[in-house]
Amino acid sequence: MRMLATFEKSERLRHIGHLDIMRAMQRALRRSGLPVAYSNGFNPHILLSFASALPVGAAGTCEVMETAMAEDVAPEDFLRRMNAALPPEMQLSGARAVDDRHPALMSLVRAARYEIRIRDAEAAEAIRTALPAYLEQAEIVTDRKTKSGIKPIDIRPLIHELTMDGGVLRTELALTETLSCKPSMLLKTLGECAGIGEPRALVVRTRLLGEDADGRLVPVEEL
Amino acid sequence: MDQFSDRIEALLERVQKAPRYTGGEMNTAVKPWDSVKLRYGFCFPDTYEVGMSHLGMKILYGLVNREPDQVCERFFMPWTDMKELMEQEDVPLFSMESRHALYDFDMIGFTLQYEMSYTNILAMLKLGRVSVRSADRGRDEPVVVAGGPCAFNPEPLADFIDAFMIGDGEEVTLQVTAAVRDWKPTGAPRRALLETLARIPGVYVPAFYDVKYNADGTVASVTPNCEAAPERVRKCVVTDLDSAYYPRAFPVPYTEVVFDRIMLEIMRGCTRGCRFCQAGMLYRPVRERSLETLRSLAMDLERATGYEEISLSSLSSGDYSCLPELIRALMKDMERERVSISLPSLRIDSVLKESLEETQKVRKTSLTFAPEAGTQRLRDVINKGVTEADLIEKVTDAFSSGWSSVKLYFMIGLPTETDEDLDGIADLAQKVVRCYFSVPKDKRAKGLRVTVSASSFVPKPVTPFQWCGQDTQESLKRKQAYLKEKLRAVKGVNFNYHTPELSYLEACFSRGDRRLGRVLEAAAARGCMLDGWSDLFSFENWMAAFADAGLDPDWYAYRTCGKDEVLPWEHIDSGIDRRFLRREYDRAQRAEVTRDCRQGCNGCGLQRWKGVCACADAGHV
Repeated sequence: MRMLATFEKSERLRHIGHLDIMRAMQRALRRSGLPVAYSNGFNPHILLSFASALPVGAAGTCEVMETAMAEDVAPEDFLRRMNAALPPEMQLSGARAVDDRHPALMSLVRAARYEIRIRDAEAAEAIRTALPAYLEQAEIVTDRKTKSGIKPIDIRPLIHELTMDGGVLRTELALTETLSCKPSMLLKTLGECAGIGEPRALVVRTRLLGEDADGRLVPVEEL
Repeated sequence: MDQFSDRIEALLERVQKAPRYTGGEMNTAVKPWDSVKLRYGFCFPDTYEVGMSHLGMKILYGLVNREPDQVCERFFMPWTDMKELMEQEDVPLFSMESRHALYDFDMIGFTLQYEMSYTNILAMLKLGRVSVRSADRGRDEPVVVAGGPCAFNPEPLADFIDAFMIGDGEEVTLQVTAAVRDWKPTGAPRRALLETLARIPGVYVPAFYDVKYNADGTVASVTPNCEAAPERVRKCVVTDLDSAYYPRAFPVPYTEVVFDRIMLEIMRGCTRGCRFCQAGMLYRPVRERSLETLRSLAMDLERATGYEEISLSSLSSGDYSCLPELIRALMKDMERERVSISLPSLRIDSVLKESLEETQKVRKTSLTFAPEAGTQRLRDVINKGVTEADLIEKVTDAFSSGWSSVKLYFMIGLPTETDEDLDGIADLAQKVVRCYFSVPKDKRAKGLRVTVSASSFVPKPVTPFQWCGQDTQESLKRKQAYLKEKLRAVKGVNFNYHTPELSYLEACFSRGDRRLGRVLEAAAARGCMLDGWSDLFSFENWMAAFADAGLDPDWYAYRTCGKDEVLPWEHIDSGIDRRFLRREYDRAQRAEVTRDCRQGCNGCGLQRWKGVCACADAGHV
């Protein structure tokens, strides 16, 4: 059976890289005493995948992971035993059993919501002022790093939503396997538009979204 | 936590490798700051990756945190980028757990693993806003202690450390923390505490000793100036290792550290008596943990950490009396958890074929052998009881069991060494390569890799070679070039060596005296730190520091000490008798080997201490 779970990567852990968080989660699975399933092959490893890699430097309040159990486990037990095996900085908030036909998490993700706290009050004010003009633009072109070098990308259609509340930007950005707007792209172009350069900010991803049967964006873990 | 946390978080966005400073690892949960009577800051004077690989820290961390009224938190040396930012932004050295400043702790302890970490101690104290010199510390400043192998010659650090703990730390650490805890609320002066500490067996308070020097610069005498201080400080020995404290949970780092696995200390001490080896003398006598204890520790540690690998650790794991049984039992216990078991520091004469075959079921990593010297004559001089035939047999075994990667450790600059001994190293490497090709192609693994490492010999206190001057840098450089040339011709061999400048400074400090404190201060002032990292090591700054202090490094590193000379550390009683060391020194000159003391007591000196060494108590003397 497969288990979907949501977890937090706390602010304190935001500099820990994706692969290190994966390994920490695998070790927690090992510590939990749950009947985790291992891959076959010469070097068996725990089957674990994340819906999306969180960029280094970003925290996440509702990241989504998936793992496989060798025997059936009740989601409540999974949650309880994992939280006992995880440090306070990386607790699970929910778990749900899914059957084997459930599509791979990564293929489901369409967008993500973020809260971005601008560190500097002056920078926040400049951004607030520039925000209407920024969103008025027909296209917002920036650089995207790809395997074949740096290429231009228009992120305007990838910004689904962008508002500001105090010093905090709230935004929903496209996130798929092929086309995404990273928070850093938003911050860079927004900073340029405000004439201040890329502002220092704390990025927290609050939701990963996928498309339901009616084409609405809903939390990936609920699909 | 809140005092600096915002500023720390802001700094972390600007440094490389921020995970070094984040904390929050599994099994590091902290106690509320105000819930305890004694706060102990354990300082590892090197980076997080190095410190978190160190077993002693894990033991003492667990030991102190088990006490309900005490807390132990960790400190590491920040990398230069972080250190500069902390200075700029006025952030003091902070603990990994609660992010309290170093100066907020009641007691701070440094572990001394390596001479070239000494400048980091000065840097950490300064960054933690604790007076660097012991004499300058006020009543409310932390008590600064230190322990570890380098504490057996504490003199170069005598100006900076209030009290040294000599020998095994499991018992004395809690005696010292209790003394500090009890002293703190009394209002008694600092000196009263130091007197209390000096009365604890195994504790050395350097301020209570006067050192006099002869006209030629050698030490004339070291004498106590306070009635609380004993003539000689006798090292602490945990006589029953099986019942001694060992943690059942380790902190689990997020990022990969040097040794990222469960370390299971199966025994302490070594009976071999290699004459260059300080650990082999300091950690005597040999004490083993029982099979049952080890199995139970391994299970608990696995459950608490989730690590994928266990390494059996000791100075000479092959000598553990029931190694095959232990490995078999652990493999069985750990099968379900898919834990692999690795054996470091394998001695080539004790790798049982049986256990080799068992470990390979799990994983084939590179095998390490340490012949240390290239010829039988020189191996006899250093009392490394290993023959070429042994090595060849074990290496052939390994190659035919599926290993293809072998590391060979050697030392150059050993006493009595000639070019013939260097030729021997190349010759041995060549023979190892031939062993590989002698195994039929379909039976051996692909990709032969033989790594030959040659470190430079450093004379260490409390060894038979403590009197020996170090080989000169010029000579070591020539030997390295000579070997490099010789090994170039051998297919499949990689040659590694260290910069002789670093070994030269190690020699200065390993046998150094109290005056070297001035050099450390001068070096720190010139920005020396993290010297073990070759990209930061500046030999010029060190030479300038010696000049500032008016001391000659050649005198410290190269001098052969007189037979009757008072050595700077001889008021520290390691249990090893000076006469035994001298006897061994003389035998080395004649290339005479001395038996492993499991075969009979060699009278190293420990037999004088009742109940400490089993071999002596059994009447082998």
